[in-house]
Amino acid sequence: MALTDTAPPPQAQPAPRKPLSPAWLTLPGLCFLVFVLLLPVGWLMALSLKPSMPGAFTMEGDWTIANYLRFFSQPFYYSTLIKTLWVSALTTGITAVLGYALALIIWTASPAKRGWVVLIVLSPLLVSIVARTYGWMIMLGDRGILNQALLGLGLIEEPIQIMYTAGAVIIGLVHVFVPFMALCVLTSLEKIDPKVPEAAMTFGASRWAVLRRILLPLTVPGLASGLTIVFSLSISSYVTPALMGGPRSGMLTTFIYQQFAVTLDWRFGAVLVTLLLALTLLVLTSILALAARMTAKWSK
Amino acid sequence: MSPYFTLFRRAGTAALFAFLLAPLVAVIIVSVNAGATPKFPPEGFSLRWYGAALANPAFTGSALTSLVLAALATAIGTPLGVAAAFGIARGKMPSGLRGLLEATFLSPLIVPGIVIGVALLVTLSTAGLRDAWLRLTLGHVLLVVPYVIRTSLAALQSFDPSLEEAAHTLGASRAKILTRVTLPVLKPAIFAGAAFGFIISFDDAAVSIFLIDSSTSTLPLAIMSYMQYNFDPSIAAISSMLIAITLAGALFIERVFGLKKFLGN
Repeated sequence: MALTDTAPPPQAQPAPRKPLSPAWLTLPGLCFLVFVLLLPVGWLMALSLKPSMPGAFTMEGDWTIANYLRFFSQPFYYSTLIKTLWVSALTTGITAVLGYALALIIWTASPAKRGWVVLIVLSPLLVSIVARTYGWMIMLGDRGILNQALLGLGLIEEPIQIMYTAGAVIIGLVHVFVPFMALCVLTSLEKIDPKVPEAAMTFGASRWAVLRRILLPLTVPGLASGLTIVFSLSISSYVTPALMGGPRSGMLTTFIYQQFAVTLDWRFGAVLVTLLLALTLLVLTSILALAARMTAKWSK
Repeated sequence: MSPYFTLFRRAGTAALFAFLLAPLVAVIIVSVNAGATPKFPPEGFSLRWYGAALANPAFTGSALTSLVLAALATAIGTPLGVAAAFGIARGKMPSGLRGLLEATFLSPLIVPGIVIGVALLVTLSTAGLRDAWLRLTLGHVLLVVPYVIRTSLAALQSFDPSLEEAAHTLGASRAKILTRVTLPVLKPAIFAGAAFGFIISFDDAAVSIFLIDSSTSTLPLAIMSYMQYNFDPSIAAISSMLIAITLAGALFIERVFGLKKFLGN
């Protein structure tokens, strides 16, 4: 390649100046964000360090970590944290497998079918969360479609309970998060030259080898952002656990609702909020760091 | 390709698609069911549950609240977001600050909705502000802003500055360049961000659940509380109407801007 061809021509005029806008344009939005999000969340975190007192929401009282000790000393409390973690982990794992399969289906679909396939994959996102959950209740209820079908086929003798279990929560979450995963993986897949897997197959590589040795390593960035998004969305989901897991779903978010709306122990509830936020940040940063390490060797 | 693999692949694809579509199809089938319970297969065709849903003041009142709220939040959030996007994309500042500002403006996407709701409830109660409309509007503006910023920033970063230079050379004033050149080019992006924010606000339950009061409720929350005591197909009817509305909105955004841009990273 002749380098001289690509060099820019000598400029007769000064370089065009980049259009500028005043930086203070960010101020109205920033003020709004500080007063409506950052300060309130900070206030709530501070409140978690005040002695628990149902009904009290002011800052009076001495600073203490008693609320945190209370949370971590009683199984009834800390089990919500554990359950949130394993439900989210399982949701993320299943979503990764199904989302990856869907991304491959979109990637290999003929251009004529592609639009339809994308629409089907995105459909859970295009539907109101309440409508979606009601649909699952019809499907999975004790007298729902699935149980009636299984009873009709004689596979079971009495209805199996799916609704109001952790399984139902996971089904509901996987359903709505799978589009995010599929799109993230697809973004990475689209950067791969289709000739690369073709060449590998010509040289005798099996489908499995192509998937494991070529596609998977090249889609690590997409997979990582998908895992991050789905895990943090799972941890913070409220409506699906509340409706499909029942009032005692035992997740951190439904427990937060109880503390703030039923028990009215806002200071103890603030502990749960702080833990939820800390968990979200921890997960986000660790998955991103892991992905950065896995892709670091590419830039060498 | 071996025939077994093709068969396996087809079956897998069909199962995945069935999983994705099942609850939506179930809702629509139940909504036109003549019977009083969501039975399957349905006991005949009837639109009576649509009539029942539309005659229920709990649904119509809260639907109006949700519409007004989403419109209000979009009307306030869009200018805030667009101005901030201009500042972030074109303001004179160190790049570290730019990154920090962008992260701050997108942070409402990371903070769980339930945390946003609780934090607003606690602070506003402490400040003595207990008006449901004020609380809901503040919370929902927070939901709208990041989507507007996201699309506006993307459009500003791919904006061709020579357009503005040409207008400048031809003697246009700064105000004229902004209103006749820059904003018209950004319009589809701003519009799409606002439309997406509107849908997110209209569909929200997690933020609003702490901010409503006994006389003001949003549609998703009204449906949720109705669902706790009733299971009749009027919920399916209203859900089907919501499906139709959201689908129409989504197709609209897809036409204007492309849906995928919102959902990726």
